[in-house]
Amino acid sequence: MSFEYHEPTSIADAVALGARFGEAGRFLAGGTDLIIQMRRGRVAPRHVLSLHRVTGLDRIEVDGAVRLGALVTHRAIEQCPHFQGPLGALVEGAEVIGGHQIRNVATVGGNIVNASPAADVVPVLLALNATVTCLGPDGERTLPLGGFLSGPGQTARRPGELLTSIRFDRLPPRSATAFLKAGRRKAMEIAVVCVAVRLTLDAARERCQEARIALGAVAPTTMRAGAAERALEGQPLTDEILRRAGRLAAGECAPIDDVRASARYRRLLVETLVPRALRRCLDRIGRAA
Amino acid sequence: MSIETRVVGKSLPRLDAAGKVTGTAVYAADFALPGMLHGKILRSREPHARLVRIDAGRALALPGVRAVITATDVLDVRYGGGLKDETVFARDRVRYVGQPVAAVAATTREAAEAALAAIDVVYEPLPAVLDLEAALAPGAPLIHEAWQTYTAIPILHREGNVCQRARIVVGDMERGFAEADRVFEHEFRTAMVHQGYTEPRAAVAAWDSAGQVTVWSNTQLPFEIQNTLAEILALPPSKIRVIVPGIGGGFGGKLRVGVEHFAALLARRTGRPVKVVTTSEEELTAAYPRQGTRVELKTGVTRDGRITAKEGRIWFDTGAFAGSGPGVASVATLVLAGPYRIPNLLLEGYAVYTNKTNCGSFRAPSGPQSNFAVESQMDMIADALGLDPLDFRLKNIVREGDEGPTGQVLEAVGLEECLRRAADAIGWRDRRPAPGRGKGLACGWWTTTGGSSGVYVKINPDGSVAMNTGAAEIGTAALTGAAQVLAEELGVDLADISVVSADTFATPFDFGAQGSRTAFAVGNACRAAVADLRRQLFGLAAAQLGVDAEALTLRDKAVVADGKRIALAELARLSQASGGGLIAHGTFIAPPTPYDAKRVEAHVYPAFHSPSFHAHAVDLSVDRETGEVTVHRYVVAQDVGFAMNPRYIEGQIEGGVAQGLGQALSEEIVYENGRVLNPNLTDYKMPTSLDLPRVESILVEHPSLVGPYGAKGVGEPPNIEPPAAVANAVAAATGVRITTLPITAEKIALALRGEGPA
Ligand SMILES: Cc1cc2nc3c(=O)[nH]c(=O)nc-3n(C[C@H](O)[C@H](O)[C@H](O)COP(=O)(O)OP(=O)(O)OC[C@H]3O[C@@H](n4cnc5c(N)ncnc54)[C@H](O)[C@@H]3O)c2cc1C
Repeated sequence: MSFEYHEPTSIADAVALGARFGEAGRFLAGGTDLIIQMRRGRVAPRHVLSLHRVTGLDRIEVDGAVRLGALVTHRAIEQCPHFQGPLGALVEGAEVIGGHQIRNVATVGGNIVNASPAADVVPVLLALNATVTCLGPDGERTLPLGGFLSGPGQTARRPGELLTSIRFDRLPPRSATAFLKAGRRKAMEIAVVCVAVRLTLDAARERCQEARIALGAVAPTTMRAGAAERALEGQPLTDEILRRAGRLAAGECAPIDDVRASARYRRLLVETLVPRALRRCLDRIGRAA
Repeated sequence: MSIETRVVGKSLPRLDAAGKVTGTAVYAADFALPGMLHGKILRSREPHARLVRIDAGRALALPGVRAVITATDVLDVRYGGGLKDETVFARDRVRYVGQPVAAVAATTREAAEAALAAIDVVYEPLPAVLDLEAALAPGAPLIHEAWQTYTAIPILHREGNVCQRARIVVGDMERGFAEADRVFEHEFRTAMVHQGYTEPRAAVAAWDSAGQVTVWSNTQLPFEIQNTLAEILALPPSKIRVIVPGIGGGFGGKLRVGVEHFAALLARRTGRPVKVVTTSEEELTAAYPRQGTRVELKTGVTRDGRITAKEGRIWFDTGAFAGSGPGVASVATLVLAGPYRIPNLLLEGYAVYTNKTNCGSFRAPSGPQSNFAVESQMDMIADALGLDPLDFRLKNIVREGDEGPTGQVLEAVGLEECLRRAADAIGWRDRRPAPGRGKGLACGWWTTTGGSSGVYVKINPDGSVAMNTGAAEIGTAALTGAAQVLAEELGVDLADISVVSADTFATPFDFGAQGSRTAFAVGNACRAAVADLRRQLFGLAAAQLGVDAEALTLRDKAVVADGKRIALAELARLSQASGGGLIAHGTFIAPPTPYDAKRVEAHVYPAFHSPSFHAHAVDLSVDRETGEVTVHRYVVAQDVGFAMNPRYIEGQIEGGVAQGLGQALSEEIVYENGRVLNPNLTDYKMPTSLDLPRVESILVEHPSLVGPYGAKGVGEPPNIEPPAAVANAVAAATGVRITTLPITAEKIALALRGEGPA
């Protein structure tokens, strides 16, 4: 493993280096994916562009919308007071990543650009309709997260582009989120399945106004369960309807058999965890009322 | 206990505590010498193939590469424990993915790795034998065509791919089953698992101008490594010095030669010290893991719950070489009998070759696999007969003076107390306290491994005491336990004792840190040394004090006799001035345990020495939809004979349970087509702190006749019962019986839906 190591000190320098090295360069944030992939020989960048000295990318800004700098760590998400209420799924996703040491350095930007279908924070952001902003020599582009993720380890990021921020709207009243993860152990675990759900009820609190369901580890990318979402919208959220959404989500995902679990079990988990997460949202909305 | 003690039996801090908690203790992986090269091993990519050609030309031309060695550079010797079937490198055939094919020494680890990638190997694949069924099938390809030519201890029963079949036969099976009202037949399977020690296997070797090699390694058995290296290098053992700087966990995985021989061979070739450390991938593909097994049990029981006969067979998938397989297959038969009175027994243990990594010993070798089957079946039978599983066990367990399966007379049997106390502590009578919640019990017995131990004990002129032992401290605090015995007997404090250990040149022989024997055997050797020192001290003191030696005793760092006293320090100084100092050689070997030789065939471990007895109880919940298990409480009641240091025994129990829960719920080395699918610590799932409950330890003390102060071996047993206890609790919680390890959430969830193999 041999490479040149660069430490740009500003966003502009980082983007310039990114443009210069293109495919041969990799940004280094927390390094918790990149270093391991380099050690295992899966990637071999000739230039590693550390983001440690770049300032201004680790802020969480909350006004009408929420903006996360790409270098915000999972620990920072866990501890952010704005995410204690309806946005709680962000904390639930972040707090199960790896262990303490990992969460202290690993970033949300790294979680997204690494584009593992099993990433834990990505489904929460997907359920929040997040957009991502990238900066390259040709300027800034903002894309919906769903469109950004294109395959395992693959994104629409252009070579050398820096992911700068992630943005999503704050939730309307009568909303909640929930995140659930299944794995063989309770920490240091790659999800066998993870599920993030966002739910908004109508003014009468009787029917579903909007539902977003994102699934991890059951398709080549983190995916939305569109059929399940549609089956909820406008409906009274009876247990039967929730369970139906679970069955639809299980039907529309495309899991594989691997050493972590069988496809059959992954579908069973989706079928179980989707209604469970929805129920949790209902509870939370009910409690907040 | 009624004995009044000052040091032994107290929860005193271990002698190596400060170094270990401050990070200054030196482990083998820390060890380095000036000018040292780094060694790496090229391993087979094929499960079974003819080795057509190895070309190291490109590798040798790379910068920093100092040597590449293969089978043609080493003597054609086969080594091994009871069965010598292993070679340093594959010669003309590879037999598992991971088998060493070549080794490289280079100036850096990276250069060595680059060299591995540049060695060209041509394989010609052969049909591989991928599991027990394939290995045992009629006409199966032989893993070792020349098996009959291998040197083996004569007692082994071998045939083709079966490298050992041990047997226990007692009574009359036909009559036994005829007396039964019901006969139960079940099959179980367990997965291959790794010891999970924190420190990988590591060794540094350096040769001197006299042609002597020193190896610093984290082995549990320095004297065994010395002898194995002597065979491999064709040198007298006196030319081989093995030193254990420190071990970051072993659990049986560091008994046999692992990397020491590569370090020694590469160091000889290059004339420089060489260090070899394994990677996680090598650990999970080419170490000495616990064998996967298949078990069949057939048990006859009367309507009121008395076991009349048991027929049991266990097959160990021992991999491409025998490793510990023959011994493990033998020990298993004693575990299959269970700690029960059963008049008619036919028990067989098989070690079977397959094209997988060579399996070895892992904390209570054969224990968890056999006990999982036995104790799962006990619950299955109790359920079928409508008996409470605790009552069913109490009806059948061995008691004081009973015979063991091979006729040994059982003494100090604390089993009933263990069962009752574990059951009470877990709240047994409320076995299904809530939907999805259940409690499980399992019990068992285990041996305190024999073998001899020697210590030199020296009293220094400042009154401190040096204990010199050939045993290694593998982290259990066993040597602190032995030092407590020494301090107690000599009338000094634990803090007065310093330990020198595990150096084949400087320390006396020890059979090694294995088999729950270290504190037991080294402790007894210390007592023998003190008996000798007492004679020396009393001789000197009698002359000094002008009293009769008979009247003297050791107390408070001095020799005393009514009113008169002379300090040990002074006696040591006197002895140095007059007779070379106070030093004694204490030795111990466990007396043989008598058994009935007519009951065993081809058995290398026919009786359990100073057996321990134990019961585990667990309280857990199962998520009925996802199958996820949450362990709430875990209780162990273990008959330790005498608790030499209660705190460290609790540590052994907690660690053993943690490892056992890993085997019960999450750990498995998964093979597909002869390749390990999860050769990394991401996908080999050892439990984390969040997965483990608080473990409650109940120390039961029925003193053994042989151990120091009545102690029994304590290190291995806590690893035995967790899989069975968990299986029984899962069944209580869900009604679903999982008969294969690990009991994953997936298996439970699919079984609850009536899908998939349980
Ligand atoms: C022990 C362990 C446990 C883990 N457990 C989990 C878990 O439970 N759940 C989970 O989801 N993940 C887990 N991970 C994976 C990893 O920690 C997360 O994906 C993490 O969010 C990655 O962030 P990072 O800052 O470390 O990324 P890095 O490793 O620094 O980067 C990852 C990739 O993104 C690129 N990149 C990073 N930042 C930018 C940027 N601003 N612009 C452009 N490209 C960028 C890098 O070039 C690299 O390709 C674990 C990792 C380890 C080592």
